Amino acid sequence: MPNVTVRGPEAPRTIESLDPVFTVKNLSVFYGDYEAVRGVDMLIGNREITAMIGPSGCGKSTVLRCFNRMNDLIPGARPAGTIQYHGEDLYGDHVDPIEVRRRIGMVFQKPNPFPKSIYDNIAYGPKVNGVKGKMDDIVEEALTKAALWDEVKGKLKQNALSLSGGQQQRLCIARAIAVKPEVILMDEPCSALDPIATTKIEDLMQELAHDYTIVIVTHNMQQAARVSHRTAFFTAEVDDAGVRHGRLVEFDETSRIFTNPSDKRTEDYITGRFG
Amino acid sequence: MAAPHNATVPGTPQSLARSRPRYGEQAIKAVLMVAALLSVATTIGIVVSLLEPTISFFGEISAVEFFTSTSWGPLFEPPHYGVLPLVSATLITTGIAIVVAVPLGLGAAIYLSEYAKPKVRKVFKPMLEVLAGIPTVVFGFFALTFVTPLLRSIMPFEIEIFNALCAGLVVGFMIIPIVASLSEDAMAAVPNGLREGSYALGASKMTTSLRVVLPAAFSGIVAAVILAISRGVGETMIVFIAGGGQPNFTLDVGKAMQTMAAFIAQAGSGDVPVGTTEYNTIFAVGSLLFVMTFAMNFVSVRLVRRFREVYE
Amino acid sequence: MAVLSTPRSAVQLASKGTPVREHLFRTLLIASLVVAFIFMVALLSYVFVEGWPRLDSRLWENMPSIRNPDIAGAQSAITGTLWVISLTGLFTLPTGIAAAIYLEEYADKTRWYNRVIELNIQNLAGIPSIVYGILGLGIIARTLGLGFSVITASLTLGLLVLPIVIIASREALRAVPPSIREGSLALGATQWQTISRQVLPASIPGIATGSILALSRAIGEAAPLLMLGAVSFIRFNPDGIFASYTVLPIQIFNWISQSREGFHVLAAAAIVVLLVILLLMNSVAIWLRNRYQKRW
Repeated sequence: MPNVTVRGPEAPRTIESLDPVFTVKNLSVFYGDYEAVRGVDMLIGNREITAMIGPSGCGKSTVLRCFNRMNDLIPGARPAGTIQYHGEDLYGDHVDPIEVRRRIGMVFQKPNPFPKSIYDNIAYGPKVNGVKGKMDDIVEEALTKAALWDEVKGKLKQNALSLSGGQQQRLCIARAIAVKPEVILMDEPCSALDPIATTKIEDLMQELAHDYTIVIVTHNMQQAARVSHRTAFFTAEVDDAGVRHGRLVEFDETSRIFTNPSDKRTEDYITGRFG
Repeated sequence: MAAPHNATVPGTPQSLARSRPRYGEQAIKAVLMVAALLSVATTIGIVVSLLEPTISFFGEISAVEFFTSTSWGPLFEPPHYGVLPLVSATLITTGIAIVVAVPLGLGAAIYLSEYAKPKVRKVFKPMLEVLAGIPTVVFGFFALTFVTPLLRSIMPFEIEIFNALCAGLVVGFMIIPIVASLSEDAMAAVPNGLREGSYALGASKMTTSLRVVLPAAFSGIVAAVILAISRGVGETMIVFIAGGGQPNFTLDVGKAMQTMAAFIAQAGSGDVPVGTTEYNTIFAVGSLLFVMTFAMNFVSVRLVRRFREVYE
Repeated sequence: MAVLSTPRSAVQLASKGTPVREHLFRTLLIASLVVAFIFMVALLSYVFVEGWPRLDSRLWENMPSIRNPDIAGAQSAITGTLWVISLTGLFTLPTGIAAAIYLEEYADKTRWYNRVIELNIQNLAGIPSIVYGILGLGIIARTLGLGFSVITASLTLGLLVLPIVIIASREALRAVPPSIREGSLALGATQWQTISRQVLPASIPGIATGSILALSRAIGEAAPLLMLGAVSFIRFNPDGIFASYTVLPIQIFNWISQSREGFHVLAAAAIVVLLVILLLMNSVAIWLRNRYQKRW
């Protein structure tokens, strides 16, 4: 069995009992004529952490970026199939991608604070969303939730770029929280961080899962095992025409994926026999 | 599969539809696009302002006379409309300028790109920028009051106060920065692997620069030279001040010559009545100048683009 | 390998001395830079030495004269330059920056019309300045009926340097990392909010540097204004945008055209004033560039 500790959630829920925020049916993503991801079916459970793992080029980030329609920004990118958000078609004609992104926050691979003060970084989201209320309180609340308040409360006017990488990433999480989203998407949030900073972010994710639905893409299997309730394993496969596509191989509770995977390819990957 | 879990229904306040209209976004994009289109309008404006008087001009003066007669004097009585003296003056001064600018500019570019240490480059590149930033009227003053007297005292042949040689030389120095900086960009874009491959074969720095880097950057360098020629052809103040205002059809560079641009400046700054043939002449010569420089720029832009496609 | 450690083979690998032609080539390269440098130093010092005797308050306190070089000054040209350049900036900077934002942030580069705009800007940058004089004369002065006025000169110079502003601003916008745009959009900001509150503020130093360089090009430009009435003899400061005007480069040209030596001294003195203005502007541009260099 793989040398991985599965901490997992307190009470694993079964697929049947899952309360889905996202329902993904037969999702494919095209870049122009190239089908980057083919035929994905999965569910994202409410107030759960769902991890998406797999080798690079397997399309896990591509799928993640469909959830808040960030793929709209790439010319030529278009999804096929359906993604429902609380039963509402995310790509329906009436849907406003900006509204979607207000509801579904995102944290990126490399910390990308704005070149402004810590305070302004947090206040930016609420401001552009026309949130009324005491900004100081919003900032404090977001920073507290992101476990950053104690470290920065004395220097809110300082440039965010003066923070360490791990602090910058937590600032980006706080920035996402300040908009009061329901879902937070995280695209390899720890890949640019050292192990200590990574631990802090992982602890933070566990904490946030009480209030938020979290979807995390990671190349780090141990991380998926440590933090997530459910795991989706993606891989890249070459079809008959010789074209590579990302495929979802298996989607299940994390404990089962890591202890008793039903697919041989999953087992090969998590035991390190992959490639 | 998920249907029973539908907590919210589309259309409820939680719907993902636009919560408030955002007409501003589209309006802003339209305003920005209009600003970008102004550049197209400028080109159209130039063509329109040139075209009408040029057509009137050729209604009165035959194209054959314009392009073949060797005598230019639209303000004389009787007037002559042969543009060849202006064209030859333009080509001669530009030719002199290129003879100055290409070796010096290219030499500077090879040195900066292949030889100079970063510190040296940091000193000399701003120097080229300073040279490029000096107004042409200043070059003109220097040409007329310093370079021409100097040439008259050292050259073995006769040189008039206004002459094509001085004008061409000074235009040459003015366009050195164009040749140098664009060629250096082109050479800097040549991948290091090519140089290393050459060194690995035991080639010297000079051989590598001349046989590997220069050919690899060739289309970029050609683009730089074409752009420099186009600048030389269109240069007005230097040739107007130092070259004089007499349209001589001659190869004697010690004599005064009038280039196309200098003619436009001279006739355009005088009081020529609108609608007369004299007035239209300005635009006819302007059209010729525009077509020549436009063609050169077009080729240059194309070459740079192709060069970028290869290496970037 | 043992060979490498023996002194004898080290001698064999040692340089046999750079051949003469290598040295010659290198010397030639340095010489081309030095020649250009000498030319520039000669030009600047000649102008300064020539102009020094007349570099006094008469230059900016007195009005031009074509009779007496001793009492002639360039006040109307200096104020004219300030008028023309301020208006040029007012017109060309917002327009150029707006066009740059459109091309960099909005334009879909697969569309033919956007490619036409792009190619057109590159070509415009290479059109001789005297041809812009023809545009100013034919369209702005005559068709629009603005005559030979400050506003005609400003619009003409504005169009002349517009491509410079656009190209420099685009580079500044491109230097802002895409991650900043993503970060903002992911928070539910609209595209314009993202541009106006994140991208533009982050690129202001670069845009400002490019804008100053474009305006300094316009300040030194004389050729198109020759055709737009600036050569006339102006003994008063402009009092509005429709006033007659002259500018420093044209005043310099007028004095160069005079045959008397005294006017050449005056021209040199005015050139020094012009160069000092340009030097100040360029220093600000360089200071901006160094002060706010990329922070990410």
